[in-house]
Amino acid sequence: MEVDREDGRSQNQLRPLACSRNILHRAHGSASWSQGDTKVLAAVYGPKAGTKKNENLRKACIEVIWKPKTGQIGKLEKEYEMILKRTLQSICILTVNPNTTTSVIIQVVNDDGALLPSAINAACMALVDAGIPMRHLAVSICCCVARDGLVYIGPNQARRGSLPNSVHSVLPEGSLSVQGEPIENGIITSVTHGRMSVDDYFYCLERGRAASTKLSDFVRRNLQQQSTDSSKAG
Amino acid sequence: MEIKQSSSPTSFIDSTVVPGDVVLDLSSMTNQTIKLGGGLRQDCDAISAMKAGTLRFSKPNKYWIESSQKRYVPCVEDTVLGIVVDSKADNFLIDIKGPALAFLPVLAFEGGTRRNIPKFEVGTLLYLRVVKANFGMNPELSCTDASGKAAEFGPLKDGYMFETSTGLSRKLLSSPTCPVLEALGKKLSFEIAVGLNGRVWVNAASPDTIVVAANAIMNSESLSTAQQIIMVEHLLKNIQ
Repeated sequence: MEVDREDGRSQNQLRPLACSRNILHRAHGSASWSQGDTKVLAAVYGPKAGTKKNENLRKACIEVIWKPKTGQIGKLEKEYEMILKRTLQSICILTVNPNTTTSVIIQVVNDDGALLPSAINAACMALVDAGIPMRHLAVSICCCVARDGLVYIGPNQARRGSLPNSVHSVLPEGSLSVQGEPIENGIITSVTHGRMSVDDYFYCLERGRAASTKLSDFVRRNLQQQSTDSSKAG
Repeated sequence: MEIKQSSSPTSFIDSTVVPGDVVLDLSSMTNQTIKLGGGLRQDCDAISAMKAGTLRFSKPNKYWIESSQKRYVPCVEDTVLGIVVDSKADNFLIDIKGPALAFLPVLAFEGGTRRNIPKFEVGTLLYLRVVKANFGMNPELSCTDASGKAAEFGPLKDGYMFETSTGLSRKLLSSPTCPVLEALGKKLSFEIAVGLNGRVWVNAASPDTIVVAANAIMNSESLSTAQQIIMVEHLLKNIQ
Protein backbone atom coordinates (compact mmCIF):
# COMPACT_ATOMS: atom_id res chain seq x y z
CA MET A 1 0.00 0.00 0.00
CA GLU A 2 1.69 3.17 -1.18
CA VAL A 3 1.31 6.05 1.20
CA ASP A 4 2.84 9.36 0.23
CA ARG A 5 4.94 11.14 2.79
CA GLU A 6 5.74 14.82 2.45
CA ASP A 7 8.87 14.18 0.47
CA GLY A 8 7.31 11.51 -1.70
CA ARG A 9 8.96 8.50 -0.07
CA SER A 10 7.23 5.18 0.36
CA GLN A 11 6.74 3.64 3.78
CA ASN A 12 9.98 1.70 3.88
CA GLN A 13 12.19 4.02 1.95
CA LEU A 14 15.14 5.65 3.65
CA ARG A 15 16.35 9.14 2.93
CA PRO A 16 19.49 9.46 0.79
CA LEU A 17 22.55 8.36 2.76
CA ALA A 18 26.00 9.88 2.56
CA CYS A 19 29.08 8.99 4.53
CA SER A 20 32.68 10.09 4.37
CA ARG A 21 35.58 9.02 6.54
CA ASN A 22 38.90 10.58 7.47
CA ILE A 23 37.67 14.13 7.09
CA LEU A 24 39.28 15.69 10.17
CA HIS A 25 43.01 16.21 10.09
CA ARG A 26 43.82 16.00 13.78
CA ALA A 27 41.39 13.34 14.94
CA HIS A 28 42.63 9.77 14.89
CA GLY A 29 39.42 8.67 13.19
CA SER A 30 36.52 10.68 11.88
CA ALA A 31 33.36 10.22 9.88
CA SER A 32 30.39 12.27 8.82
CA TRP A 33 27.03 10.64 8.27
CA SER A 34 23.99 12.23 6.75
CA GLN A 35 20.50 10.88 6.21
CA GLY A 36 18.61 13.41 4.15
CA ASP A 37 19.10 16.72 5.96
CA THR A 38 20.25 15.26 9.27
CA LYS A 39 24.03 15.42 9.47
CA VAL A 40 26.31 14.28 12.27
CA LEU A 41 30.09 14.45 12.56
CA ALA A 42 31.95 11.96 14.75
CA ALA A 43 35.60 12.15 15.82
CA VAL A 44 37.55 9.45 17.66
CA TYR A 45 40.71 10.02 19.67
CA GLY A 46 42.61 7.11 21.05
CA PRO A 47 43.39 4.70 22.44
CA LYS A 48 45.26 6.86 24.94
CA ALA A 49 46.86 5.67 28.15
CA GLY A 50 44.91 5.87 31.38
CA THR A 51 41.29 5.36 32.34
CA LYS A 52 38.93 7.41 34.42
CA LYS A 53 38.22 6.62 38.04
CA ASN A 54 35.88 3.73 38.82
CA GLU A 55 36.51 2.12 35.48
CA ASN A 56 37.67 -1.44 35.04
CA LEU A 57 41.45 -1.43 34.60
CA ARG A 58 41.38 -4.65 32.62
CA LYS A 59 39.30 -3.16 29.85
CA ALA A 60 39.46 -0.19 27.56
CA CYS A 61 37.15 2.65 28.46
CA ILE A 62 35.03 4.47 25.89
CA GLU A 63 33.94 7.99 26.66
CA VAL A 64 31.37 9.81 24.57
CA ILE A 65 30.92 13.56 24.35
CA TRP A 66 27.82 14.85 22.61
CA LYS A 67 27.88 18.38 21.31
CA PRO A 68 24.50 19.76 20.26
CA LYS A 69 24.14 22.19 17.41
CA THR A 70 23.08 25.05 19.67
CA GLY A 71 22.42 25.57 23.34
CA GLN A 72 23.80 24.22 26.57
CA ILE A 73 24.46 20.61 27.32
CA GLY A 74 21.54 19.22 29.28
CA LYS A 75 19.86 16.01 30.29
CA LEU A 76 18.99 14.98 26.74
CA GLU A 77 22.62 15.18 25.65
CA LYS A 78 23.72 13.19 28.68
CA GLU A 79 21.16 10.55 27.85
CA TYR A 80 22.40 10.31 24.28
CA GLU A 81 25.95 10.00 25.57
CA MET A 82 24.97 7.14 27.82
CA ILE A 83 23.08 5.29 25.10
CA LEU A 84 25.95 5.71 22.68
CA LYS A 85 28.50 4.59 25.25
CA ARG A 86 26.61 1.39 26.01
CA THR A 87 26.14 0.62 22.33
CA LEU A 88 29.76 1.21 21.45
CA GLN A 89 30.96 -0.80 24.43
CA SER A 90 29.08 -3.81 23.18
CA ILE A 91 30.60 -3.69 19.69
CA CYS A 92 34.20 -2.82 20.55
CA ILE A 93 36.57 -5.47 21.82
CA LEU A 94 37.55 -3.90 25.10
CA THR A 95 40.17 -6.41 26.21
CA VAL A 96 42.66 -5.69 23.43
CA ASN A 97 43.98 -2.46 24.94
CA PRO A 98 43.44 -2.59 28.71
CA ASN A 99 43.76 0.58 30.74
CA THR A 100 43.23 2.96 27.85
CA THR A 101 40.57 5.53 27.01
CA THR A 102 39.03 6.09 23.62
CA SER A 103 37.10 9.33 23.25
CA VAL A 104 34.26 9.66 20.79
CA ILE A 105 33.00 13.16 20.13
CA ILE A 106 29.72 13.63 18.32
CA GLN A 107 28.92 17.01 16.83
CA VAL A 108 25.41 17.60 15.56
CA VAL A 109 25.61 19.61 12.37
CA ASN A 110 21.94 19.51 11.48
CA ASP A 111 18.97 17.80 13.08
CA ASP A 112 16.06 16.78 10.89
CA GLY A 113 14.84 13.67 12.69
CA ALA A 114 16.64 10.33 13.19
CA LEU A 115 19.44 12.08 15.09
CA LEU A 116 20.44 9.26 17.42
CA PRO A 117 20.63 6.63 14.67
CA SER A 118 22.76 8.94 12.53
CA ALA A 119 25.03 9.52 15.51
CA ILE A 120 25.41 5.79 16.13
CA ASN A 121 26.20 5.19 12.47
CA ALA A 122 28.69 8.05 12.37
CA ALA A 123 30.39 6.88 15.58
CA CYS A 124 30.71 3.34 14.25
CA MET A 125 32.29 4.51 11.00
CA ALA A 126 34.66 6.80 12.89
CA LEU A 127 35.76 3.89 15.10
CA VAL A 128 36.46 1.81 11.99
CA ASP A 129 38.43 4.72 10.54
CA ALA A 130 40.53 4.95 13.71
CA GLY A 131 41.30 1.25 13.68
CA ILE A 132 39.77 0.51 17.07
CA PRO A 133 39.33 -3.29 17.32
CA MET A 134 35.66 -4.13 16.89
CA ARG A 135 33.64 -7.29 17.11
CA HIS A 136 31.03 -6.25 14.55
CA LEU A 137 29.71 -3.19 12.83
CA ALA A 138 26.44 -1.71 13.95
CA VAL A 139 23.86 0.16 11.92
CA SER A 140 20.97 2.04 13.35
CA ILE A 141 17.47 2.86 12.17
CA CYS A 142 14.64 4.97 13.40
CA CYS A 143 11.03 4.13 12.80
CA CYS A 144 7.81 5.62 13.99
CA VAL A 145 4.25 4.49 14.40
CA ALA A 146 1.68 6.83 12.93
CA ARG A 147 -1.72 7.49 14.36
CA ASP A 148 -3.33 5.34 11.72
CA GLY A 149 -1.21 2.37 12.72
CA LEU A 150 1.27 2.47 9.87
CA VAL A 151 4.99 2.22 10.46
CA TYR A 152 7.40 4.60 8.74
CA ILE A 153 11.13 4.15 8.49
CA GLY A 154 13.47 7.07 8.88
CA PRO A 155 11.10 9.89 9.77
CA ASN A 156 12.17 13.47 9.46
CA GLN A 157 11.74 16.04 12.19
CA ALA A 158 8.32 17.32 11.20
CA ARG A 159 6.74 13.94 11.47
CA ARG A 160 8.74 12.66 14.39
CA GLY A 161 7.72 15.41 16.73
CA SER A 162 4.23 14.15 17.24
CA LEU A 163 4.49 10.40 17.07
CA PRO A 164 5.79 7.57 19.21
CA ASN A 165 8.95 6.18 17.69
CA SER A 166 11.73 3.81 18.45
CA VAL A 167 15.40 3.65 17.55
CA HIS A 168 17.12 0.35 17.02
CA SER A 169 20.76 -0.59 16.58
CA VAL A 170 21.23 -3.74 14.65
CA LEU A 171 24.26 -5.84 13.80
CA PRO A 172 24.77 -6.22 10.10
CA GLU A 173 25.38 -9.42 8.16
CA GLY A 174 28.78 -10.74 7.36
CA SER A 175 29.29 -12.65 10.55
CA LEU A 176 29.05 -16.40 10.21
CA SER A 177 27.19 -18.26 12.83
CA VAL A 178 29.12 -19.28 15.87
CA GLN A 179 27.93 -22.40 17.65
CA GLY A 180 25.16 -22.68 15.16
CA GLU A 181 23.28 -19.58 16.27
CA PRO A 182 23.09 -16.86 13.69
CA ILE A 183 24.31 -13.62 15.16
CA GLU A 184 23.64 -11.53 12.16
CA ASN A 185 20.93 -8.94 12.51
CA GLY A 186 20.88 -9.08 16.27
CA ILE A 187 19.53 -6.10 18.16
CA ILE A 188 21.99 -4.33 20.44
CA THR A 189 20.09 -1.27 21.55
CA SER A 190 16.49 -0.28 21.37
CA VAL A 191 15.25 3.10 22.52
CA THR A 192 11.61 4.06 22.43
CA HIS A 193 9.69 7.24 23.01
CA GLY A 194 6.00 7.50 23.50
CA ARG A 195 3.36 4.85 23.80
CA MET A 196 2.72 2.00 21.40
CA SER A 197 1.33 -1.49 21.60
CA VAL A 198 3.59 -4.50 21.95
CA ASP A 199 2.55 -5.76 18.52
CA ASP A 200 3.40 -2.44 16.96
CA TYR A 201 6.81 -2.58 18.63
CA PHE A 202 7.61 -6.01 17.24
CA TYR A 203 6.35 -4.92 13.85
CA CYS A 204 8.72 -1.95 14.04
CA LEU A 205 11.56 -4.33 14.86
CA GLU A 206 10.84 -6.43 11.81
CA ARG A 207 10.66 -3.46 9.50
CA GLY A 208 13.80 -2.05 11.05
CA ARG A 209 15.70 -5.28 10.49
CA ALA A 210 14.68 -5.36 6.86
CA ALA A 211 15.76 -1.76 6.30
CA SER A 212 19.03 -2.37 8.11
CA THR A 213 20.23 -4.73 5.41
CA LYS A 214 20.18 -1.81 2.99
CA LEU A 215 22.15 0.28 5.46
CA SER A 216 24.73 -2.41 6.01
CA ASP A 217 25.19 -2.85 2.25
CA PHE A 218 25.80 0.86 1.99
CA VAL A 219 28.34 0.77 4.82
CA ARG A 220 30.19 -2.15 3.30
CA ARG A 221 30.35 -0.53 -0.14
CA ASN A 222 31.57 2.67 1.43
CA LEU A 223 34.37 0.89 3.30
CA GLN A 224 35.46 -0.99 0.20
CA GLN A 225 35.50 2.12 -1.92
CA GLN A 226 37.40 4.27 0.51
CA SER A 227 39.95 1.65 1.38
CA THR A 228 41.74 2.27 -1.90
CA ASP A 229 41.46 6.01 -1.70
CA SER A 230 42.99 7.38 1.46
CA SER A 231 43.33 11.08 0.78
CA LYS A 232 43.18 13.46 3.72
CA ALA A 233 41.31 16.72 3.76
CA GLY A 234 43.59 19.70 4.23
CA MET B 1 28.72 -25.65 9.90
CA GLU B 2 26.69 -23.75 7.31
CA ILE B 3 28.68 -21.32 5.24
CA LYS B 4 26.41 -18.55 4.05
CA GLN B 5 28.72 -17.12 1.40
CA SER B 6 28.67 -19.11 -1.79
CA SER B 7 32.44 -18.80 -2.23
CA SER B 8 34.95 -20.15 0.25
CA PRO B 9 36.41 -17.84 2.90
CA THR B 10 39.85 -17.90 1.31
CA SER B 11 38.50 -15.65 -1.43
CA PHE B 12 38.79 -12.80 1.08
CA ILE B 13 42.54 -12.74 0.50
CA ASP B 14 43.62 -9.44 -1.06
CA SER B 15 40.12 -8.00 -0.75
CA THR B 16 38.69 -5.56 1.74
CA VAL B 17 37.26 -6.95 4.93
CA VAL B 18 35.12 -5.26 7.50
CA PRO B 19 35.13 -5.86 11.29
CA GLY B 20 33.18 -9.00 12.01
CA ASP B 21 33.87 -10.79 8.73
CA VAL B 22 34.89 -14.38 9.28
CA VAL B 23 37.93 -14.85 7.10
CA LEU B 24 38.90 -18.40 8.01
CA ASP B 25 36.94 -21.34 9.21
CA LEU B 26 39.23 -23.52 11.27
CA SER B 27 36.91 -26.50 11.41
CA SER B 28 37.55 -27.13 7.73
CA MET B 29 41.33 -26.99 8.05
CA THR B 30 42.90 -29.74 10.09
CA ASN B 31 46.46 -30.28 11.24
CA GLN B 32 47.72 -26.91 10.15
CA THR B 33 49.50 -24.25 12.14
CA ILE B 34 48.36 -20.79 11.19
CA LYS B 35 50.04 -17.57 12.24
CA LEU B 36 47.76 -14.61 12.76
CA GLY B 37 49.09 -11.11 12.38
CA GLY B 38 47.53 -7.77 13.25
CA GLY B 39 43.83 -7.17 12.98
CA LEU B 40 42.67 -10.78 13.28
CA ARG B 41 41.31 -12.58 16.28
CA GLN B 42 40.28 -16.11 17.03
CA ASP B 43 36.79 -16.87 18.22
CA CYS B 44 36.59 -20.63 18.88
CA ASP B 45 36.66 -22.06 15.37
CA ALA B 46 36.39 -18.89 13.36
CA ILE B 47 39.04 -16.30 12.63
CA SER B 48 37.37 -12.93 12.29
CA ALA B 49 38.57 -9.47 11.40
CA MET B 50 38.83 -6.74 14.03
CA LYS B 51 39.75 -3.91 11.70
CA ALA B 52 38.73 -2.82 8.24
CA GLY B 53 41.45 -3.34 5.69
CA THR B 54 42.85 -5.73 3.11
CA LEU B 55 43.42 -9.33 4.10
CA ARG B 56 46.89 -10.53 3.13
CA PHE B 57 48.34 -13.99 3.06
CA SER B 58 51.96 -15.01 2.84
CA LYS B 59 53.05 -18.61 2.37
CA PRO B 60 53.08 -20.91 4.12
CA ASN B 61 50.64 -19.88 6.80
CA LYS B 62 50.63 -16.19 7.73
CA TYR B 63 47.45 -14.11 7.60
CA TRP B 64 47.15 -10.47 8.52
CA ILE B 65 45.06 -7.38 7.83
CA GLU B 66 46.81 -4.48 6.18
CA SER B 67 45.36 -1.11 7.09
CA SER B 68 46.59 2.41 7.55
CA GLN B 69 45.83 4.25 10.76
CA LYS B 70 46.99 7.35 12.55
CA ARG B 71 47.77 5.44 15.76
CA TYR B 72 50.41 2.78 16.09
CA VAL B 73 50.25 -0.78 17.43
CA PRO B 74 53.70 -1.59 18.90
CA CYS B 75 55.46 -4.63 17.42
CA VAL B 76 58.85 -6.08 18.30
CA GLU B 77 61.79 -5.10 16.08
CA ASP B 78 60.00 -2.05 14.63
CA THR B 79 61.98 1.17 14.33
CA VAL B 80 60.03 4.15 15.60
CA LEU B 81 60.45 7.84 16.31
CA GLY B 82 59.61 8.66 19.89
CA ILE B 83 59.33 11.88 21.86
CA VAL B 84 60.56 12.04 25.46
CA VAL B 85 57.70 12.85 27.83
CA ASP B 86 59.33 12.29 31.21
CA SER B 87 62.40 10.74 32.77
CA LYS B 88 62.49 8.49 35.80
CA ALA B 89 65.36 6.86 37.70
CA ASP B 90 65.52 3.77 35.51
CA ASN B 91 63.66 4.69 32.34
CA PHE B 92 62.76 7.49 30.05
CA LEU B 93 59.03 7.66 29.27
CA ILE B 94 58.56 7.97 25.52
CA ASP B 95 55.46 8.68 23.50
CA ILE B 96 55.31 6.51 20.37
CA LYS B 97 51.69 7.18 19.37
CA GLY B 98 50.58 3.86 20.81
CA PRO B 99 47.98 2.99 23.42
CA ALA B 100 50.56 3.24 26.23
CA LEU B 101 53.72 5.18 26.91
CA ALA B 102 56.91 3.25 26.20
CA PHE B 103 59.92 2.83 28.46
CA LEU B 104 63.50 3.43 27.32
CA PRO B 105 65.90 2.00 29.91
CA VAL B 106 68.54 4.48 30.90
CA LEU B 107 71.30 1.96 30.13
CA ALA B 108 70.04 0.93 26.68
CA PHE B 109 72.77 2.84 24.81
CA GLU B 110 76.03 1.74 23.33
CA GLY B 111 78.56 1.76 26.16
CA GLY B 112 75.87 2.87 28.59
CA THR B 113 76.77 2.71 32.28
CA ARG B 114 75.39 4.36 35.39
CA ARG B 115 78.05 7.04 35.06
CA ASN B 116 77.23 8.29 31.56
CA ILE B 117 73.45 8.38 31.46
CA PRO B 118 72.37 10.72 28.66
CA LYS B 119 70.30 13.72 29.63
CA PHE B 120 67.30 14.09 27.35
CA GLU B 121 65.02 17.05 27.84
CA VAL B 122 61.27 16.67 27.57
CA GLY B 123 60.44 16.93 23.87
CA THR B 124 63.61 15.35 22.48
CA LEU B 125 63.05 13.32 19.33
CA LEU B 126 64.69 9.89 19.32
CA TYR B 127 65.09 7.16 16.72
CA LEU B 128 64.49 3.89 18.57
CA ARG B 129 63.92 0.19 18.21
CA VAL B 130 61.08 -1.66 19.92
CA VAL B 131 62.46 -4.49 22.05
CA LYS B 132 59.39 -5.76 23.87
CA ALA B 133 55.73 -5.26 23.06
CA ASN B 134 53.68 -7.55 25.26
CA PHE B 135 49.99 -7.41 25.90
CA GLY B 136 49.01 -5.24 28.83
CA MET B 137 52.54 -3.96 29.49
CA ASN B 138 54.22 -0.77 28.39
CA PRO B 139 56.45 -1.40 25.36
CA GLU B 140 60.19 -1.32 25.91
CA LEU B 141 62.57 0.45 23.57
CA SER B 142 66.29 0.59 22.98
CA CYS B 143 68.84 2.88 21.36
CA THR B 144 71.01 0.02 20.16
CA ASP B 145 70.53 -2.69 17.59
CA ALA B 146 70.35 -6.35 18.51
CA SER B 147 74.10 -6.69 18.85
CA GLY B 148 74.52 -3.67 21.13
CA LYS B 149 75.92 -1.15 18.62
CA ALA B 150 74.50 2.33 18.26
CA ALA B 151 73.73 1.98 14.52
CA GLU B 152 72.11 5.41 13.92
CA PHE B 153 69.71 5.08 16.87
CA GLY B 154 69.51 7.95 19.34
CA PRO B 155 68.54 11.62 19.32
CA LEU B 156 67.84 13.40 16.03
CA LYS B 157 69.15 16.94 15.95
CA ASP B 158 67.78 19.83 13.87
CA GLY B 159 65.51 19.00 11.00
CA TYR B 160 61.72 18.85 10.98
CA MET B 161 59.39 16.08 12.18
CA PHE B 162 55.88 15.60 10.89
CA GLU B 163 53.20 12.96 11.42
CA THR B 164 51.77 10.68 8.79
CA SER B 165 49.71 7.52 8.78
CA THR B 166 51.29 4.13 9.39
CA GLY B 167 50.48 3.10 5.80
CA LEU B 168 52.54 5.94 4.35
CA SER B 169 55.45 5.11 6.68
CA ARG B 170 55.45 1.55 5.42
CA LYS B 171 55.39 2.74 1.80
CA LEU B 172 58.35 5.04 2.44
CA LEU B 173 60.33 2.16 3.88
CA SER B 174 59.45 -0.36 1.18
CA SER B 175 62.02 -1.64 -1.26
CA PRO B 176 62.41 -0.84 -4.15
CA THR B 177 62.54 2.79 -3.11
CA CYS B 178 59.27 4.66 -2.94
CA PRO B 179 58.77 6.80 -6.12
CA VAL B 180 58.46 10.10 -4.26
CA LEU B 181 61.76 9.60 -2.41
CA GLU B 182 63.49 8.57 -5.60
CA ALA B 183 62.20 11.58 -7.49
CA LEU B 184 63.21 13.94 -4.67
CA GLY B 185 66.60 12.30 -4.33
CA LYS B 186 67.47 12.99 -7.96
CA LYS B 187 67.35 16.74 -7.44
CA LEU B 188 67.71 17.42 -3.71
CA SER B 189 70.05 16.24 -1.03
CA PHE B 190 68.42 15.54 2.32
CA GLU B 191 68.40 12.97 5.07
CA ILE B 192 65.30 11.27 6.36
CA ALA B 193 64.29 9.03 9.25
CA VAL B 194 61.01 7.15 9.01
CA GLY B 195 59.32 5.70 12.07
CA LEU B 196 56.84 2.90 11.55
CA ASN B 197 54.62 4.62 14.08
CA GLY B 198 53.67 7.35 11.62
CA ARG B 199 56.40 9.92 12.24
CA VAL B 200 58.89 11.15 9.66
CA TRP B 201 61.92 13.39 10.25
CA VAL B 202 63.61 15.31 7.44
CA ASN B 203 66.84 17.27 7.59
CA ALA B 204 68.72 19.17 4.89
CA ALA B 205 71.17 22.02 4.52
CA SER B 206 68.57 24.70 3.78
CA PRO B 207 65.04 25.17 5.15
CA ASP B 208 63.59 25.37 1.61
CA THR B 209 64.72 21.86 0.87
CA ILE B 210 63.28 20.58 4.12
CA VAL B 211 59.89 22.17 3.41
CA VAL B 212 59.73 20.88 -0.17
CA ALA B 213 60.69 17.36 0.88
CA ALA B 214 58.15 17.35 3.73
CA ASN B 215 55.33 18.64 1.53
CA ALA B 216 56.12 16.15 -1.21
CA ILE B 217 56.00 13.25 1.23
CA MET B 218 52.78 14.43 2.87
CA ASN B 219 51.07 14.84 -0.51
CA SER B 220 52.15 11.47 -1.84
CA GLU B 221 49.87 9.29 0.25
CA SER B 222 47.02 8.75 -2.13
CA LEU B 223 48.83 9.20 -5.43
CA SER B 224 49.96 6.55 -7.87
CA THR B 225 53.59 6.29 -9.00
CA ALA B 226 53.14 8.46 -12.06
CA GLN B 227 51.16 11.06 -10.13
CA GLN B 228 53.82 11.18 -7.43
CA ILE B 229 56.55 11.90 -9.96
CA ILE B 230 54.48 14.65 -11.58
CA MET B 231 53.72 16.18 -8.17
CA VAL B 232 57.40 16.22 -7.20
CA GLU B 233 58.38 17.85 -10.52
CA HIS B 234 55.74 20.48 -9.99
CA LEU B 235 57.02 21.28 -6.48
CA LEU B 236 60.64 21.38 -7.57
CA LYS B 237 59.85 23.69 -10.48
CA ASN B 238 58.42 26.22 -8.04
CA ILE B 239 61.56 26.56 -5.98
CA GLN B 240 64.01 26.82 -8.81
